[in-house]
Amino acid sequence: MSDHKHHHHPQPPLEAQDAGSQALAEALRSSFVIVKIAMAALVVIIFAAGFFTVGPQEKAVILRFGKPQGEGQKMLLSAGKLYWSFPYPIDEVVRIPITEIQQVKSTVGWYATTPEMELAGTEPPPGPSLNPAMDGYVITADRNIIHTRATVLYHIDDPRTAIFNFASGTNHVFNLAGVSNAVQNAANNALILTAARFNVDDILTRDVAGFQDAVGQRVSELVEREHLGVAIDQCGVVSSAPRQLKDVFAQVTEARQSYEKRLNDATGDASRILSQAGAQATSITNLAETARTNFVSSVASDAEVFTKLLPQYQSNPRLYAELALAKAMPQMLTNVQDKIFLPQRADGKPRELRLQLNREPPQPKSAANP
Amino acid sequence: MKKNLITVIIAALLVVIFALLLFTFQVRQSEVAVLTTFGKPADKNIDQPNLYFKWPWPIQQVYRFDQRVQIFEDKFSENLTPDGTMLLTSVYVGWRISDAKEFFPKFAGGSVAVAQQQLEQMLRSAKAAVIGSNNLSAFVNADPAQLRLEAMENEIKDRVQNELTAHSYGITIEFLGIKKLGLPESVTQTVFDRMKSERQKLISAAQFNGEAEATKIKSGAEREAAAVIANAQAAATRIEGEGDAEAAKTLGTFQQNPELAIFQLQLDALKSSLNQKSTLIFDERTPPFSLFQNLPADAATK
Repeated sequence: MSDHKHHHHPQPPLEAQDAGSQALAEALRSSFVIVKIAMAALVVIIFAAGFFTVGPQEKAVILRFGKPQGEGQKMLLSAGKLYWSFPYPIDEVVRIPITEIQQVKSTVGWYATTPEMELAGTEPPPGPSLNPAMDGYVITADRNIIHTRATVLYHIDDPRTAIFNFASGTNHVFNLAGVSNAVQNAANNALILTAARFNVDDILTRDVAGFQDAVGQRVSELVEREHLGVAIDQCGVVSSAPRQLKDVFAQVTEARQSYEKRLNDATGDASRILSQAGAQATSITNLAETARTNFVSSVASDAEVFTKLLPQYQSNPRLYAELALAKAMPQMLTNVQDKIFLPQRADGKPRELRLQLNREPPQPKSAANP
Repeated sequence: MKKNLITVIIAALLVVIFALLLFTFQVRQSEVAVLTTFGKPADKNIDQPNLYFKWPWPIQQVYRFDQRVQIFEDKFSENLTPDGTMLLTSVYVGWRISDAKEFFPKFAGGSVAVAQQQLEQMLRSAKAAVIGSNNLSAFVNADPAQLRLEAMENEIKDRVQNELTAHSYGITIEFLGIKKLGLPESVTQTVFDRMKSERQKLISAAQFNGEAEATKIKSGAEREAAAVIANAQAAATRIEGEGDAEAAKTLGTFQQNPELAIFQLQLDALKSSLNQKSTLIFDERTPPFSLFQNLPADAATK
């Protein structure tokens, strides 16, 4: 190149041309430098753009040529680290809004309400009937209508299935909306099918836990059968009588409580009656025992007295008898309340005695003795 | 030379990128692709995620479809059961494009929405056939043996799947379930009236049964109590009898002089009978009042 320049140097027109070429070469050189810098910057930018982090309420998956990298839970990249991936179209980072525990609610069996009403704990006024397009309900085995709803908590068991196997619309976005919809439908189906084999009173009062367990079991079965890639953690069920019949259902509850109270009272009375009878029976037998003891002792003491008195009696029975009677008389006369002495008539004839007996005077009337 | 090398590398890189764009395509995990050559679909679906080769347009063209499970819910439909009950049902269906090369030419632009319209029509006729052959007792029943809801779900699914297969729609039903089961609005009011009447009966039954049960419990207790007391009285009689028998052992003592024994007993009986609240009427002949008539001296003279 330098030789070529040297050969053309003596020719003035060419000199001007060389100057132009030189300027062009300079410009190109500068351009190449800029391009090189730009390319170097591009490489740096491309490399730097490959770094990414994951937010606290999301997970990320790297797709390499469209295929998820990693298996099972290792597929999901969590927050707390700095990651790097190749630029698109080699790698693609898919972010999925996902928490440890997911939640869906099935309101297919619940009446139409609003979040504001839910928060306030109120409910819309009932109409005479239920519009199937708006009001959800379930039909029970005994062909009654009730409201019931379920809240299902679940976690992602197989991320590949849960994230990449269920569509959430016609777009190609990856999220959990599709599998969430599938879990919700499983809960809807579980409520309908379980209510269809439970009677209304079992669902509302007698076997609330049994109904809830059956719904939960059905949801788990469907989730497994439909290969949703999730595992059910909890399934809570709330059921309610139709708003149109709340009063009459409350009256049934009241009547049943009254029934229970009557039975409890009767059982208490029965217990008291049996207890009193037991006490009375013990008293009767105790009294009999006492009477027996007293009688036997009394007869024994009488025999003892008899044995002591017998010699005296045998010596003069008449005297003994009169003495004994005379001895007893003062005590007897002391105890007697009324003593009536009836003197003998002068003519020796017997007297006629007329008695008007009135043992107890009638008691005055009072509140205690009406 | 060094500059040329860089230029060549840059050029080669650009060519490679351009060639990659022209000659390759990517299939993602969720996709299935159909490759057409001059408009004719290939024999095989491309359903595994990877990078694939193709000839550039217009020789070959790639059509991509979502092969994930689409969940579709049909509208409430009214069907009459054989026993004359009008039922409203709605089902959810999990379906997917299982054969894109068959699916693709059947629906305009391979549209999922159009496919779902077709699916809804098939569902409607399948539901009518299945529901129309089951009485209400097969839908709601406390006896699991008579409840046929799951069987009906399977029948509807099988009918729709058979029709899809027969028409080579390239669609597979993954699962199908009943989402809603209802009654016409006017019927719900009738059901409420019946439920109200049943509740009233339950209230009356609870009141009546409460009284009956309580009376039964109390009368049972009274009967048991009477038996307990009767047993106690029988035991008391037996105890007293035992006492009498024991006392009779001392009878030999009194037999030494029965007159004295009887006198003693009569005296005791007299003492006991003349207790308080008794009235004694006597005359001069009753000792010791006989003293009023005869003094001992007189008696002695007599």
